[in-house]
Amino acid sequence: MQLVWDNLPFLLKGAGYTLLITIISMFFGLIIGVIVAIARMQGNRPIRWIARFYVSIIRGTPVLVQLVIVYYGLTDYGITLDAIPAACIALSINIGAYLSETFRGAILSIPKGQTEAAYATGMTSAQTMWRIILPQAARTAIPPMGNTFIGMLKETSLVSVITVTDLLRSADLLIAQYYVYMPFYIGIAIMYWIMSTIFSTILERIERRLAKAY
Amino acid sequence: MKSLRRTSTPIVWAMLLMVVLSACGNAAPRSTATDPASNTSAETTATATSGNTLEAIKSAGVLKVGLMGTYAPYNFLNANKEVDGFDADIAKEVAKRLGVKAEFTTQAFSGLIPSLQAGKFDAIISQVTITDERKQQLDFSDPYITNQVKIIVNANNTDITKLADFKDKNIGVGLGTNDETYLRTEVLPQVGNFNIKTYNDVITSLQDLNVGRIDATINNIYALKPIVEENGFKIKAVGDAIKSDQAGIAIRKDNPDLLKALNKALTDMKADGTYETIFVKWFGEKPAAE
Repeated sequence: MQLVWDNLPFLLKGAGYTLLITIISMFFGLIIGVIVAIARMQGNRPIRWIARFYVSIIRGTPVLVQLVIVYYGLTDYGITLDAIPAACIALSINIGAYLSETFRGAILSIPKGQTEAAYATGMTSAQTMWRIILPQAARTAIPPMGNTFIGMLKETSLVSVITVTDLLRSADLLIAQYYVYMPFYIGIAIMYWIMSTIFSTILERIERRLAKAY
Repeated sequence: MKSLRRTSTPIVWAMLLMVVLSACGNAAPRSTATDPASNTSAETTATATSGNTLEAIKSAGVLKVGLMGTYAPYNFLNANKEVDGFDADIAKEVAKRLGVKAEFTTQAFSGLIPSLQAGKFDAIISQVTITDERKQQLDFSDPYITNQVKIIVNANNTDITKLADFKDKNIGVGLGTNDETYLRTEVLPQVGNFNIKTYNDVITSLQDLNVGRIDATINNIYALKPIVEENGFKIKAVGDAIKSDQAGIAIRKDNPDLLKALNKALTDMKADGTYETIFVKWFGEKPAAE
């Protein structure tokens, strides 16, 4: 384990990229997720269909394939993205689809009476969504969201395929240098675990905070 | 009615998907063939972002080089976490002679050629063996090294000494490497059936050889020496070299200026002794006379 200790700065740099990509993808994934969830509950049929189609494609294909398509595939159309933006775009699109399902479930779980009451007070449907439904739905959505995020953190380990030197790839490079396996893999396992624990703790706090309002 | 509609949706989606995919498939050639405007714009973005020509490399002041980074002593990360090794030194020296700096990107071998084609870097200097198949996709500089490939087995193994012994065995090889192509297209038909397991770096294949998950692998001896020494793997090379490979610098097609400049750099290096110095530094012996 001495080797891991000596090379910690290098591994931490990799962990930094892992975190960076996870956080950026989560942020945009959240936005995409909310938009798509609402789109899927629209009265407008084409919009609903497009949203359904998107969710179905993303959930029905491996993340690895999505990453490679964004990084390599788009170059045929003159779009050459750097590795990290490409990773963030692919993962945002991916996580957005999963989160949209979570949010949709959460929104549907709010009793219809809430909507009716909001309309009765003269709110528009948009106001009802933003002021009444979404705040309540957010509470229901937090635990499954936590799962999605932690899954995401681990899925970032695939980005090494498109030349990002993330935590996993850093370990691979060190293994090639020192020719030993286990210490580095155990080391990064611990690092991944620490990162997901931090995420879980933050989410638990948010959950408690939201619960207080009731 | 409702249930009927529900069962038909996946079919509708599948159709939609086909439409989308076929549109994608047609879009690429159409935009390049019939639409000169989009063609030129795509080209300019490619040159702007990826340095398609010698001129672009010179004006950027950087030669972007792709390599594995997990293939000592050819290319690996040294103690300072810089890309180092024979390939790296060759790359730096070539870049210097072009009047630019070398900038390295590391990636598993199987991804290097797609990355080069997509304009992510200007050249691959990572023991890319020159083959006729690859020449259809890429242009190669003159060879900058010749490697002898041998059969490697576990030290306790006595029943594999030649390619013919591979029959019904598990053979490991680097994914996307020339050695893999060689096993599949030349050895398999001759020897009869054996099982090929692919690896993304040399060390994993040797590790598996060491514990007996594969029976043999093929690789070049320079690559194996440091790994075996450092790791105490109980493996050995057997028999004569099964082939010798020449590696060149791989670049995208239709860059004659760059190719010429690379070849000139290599020729000059060999002439003034720089090449030999680099070779001796990494392999402890002089290069074989050409």
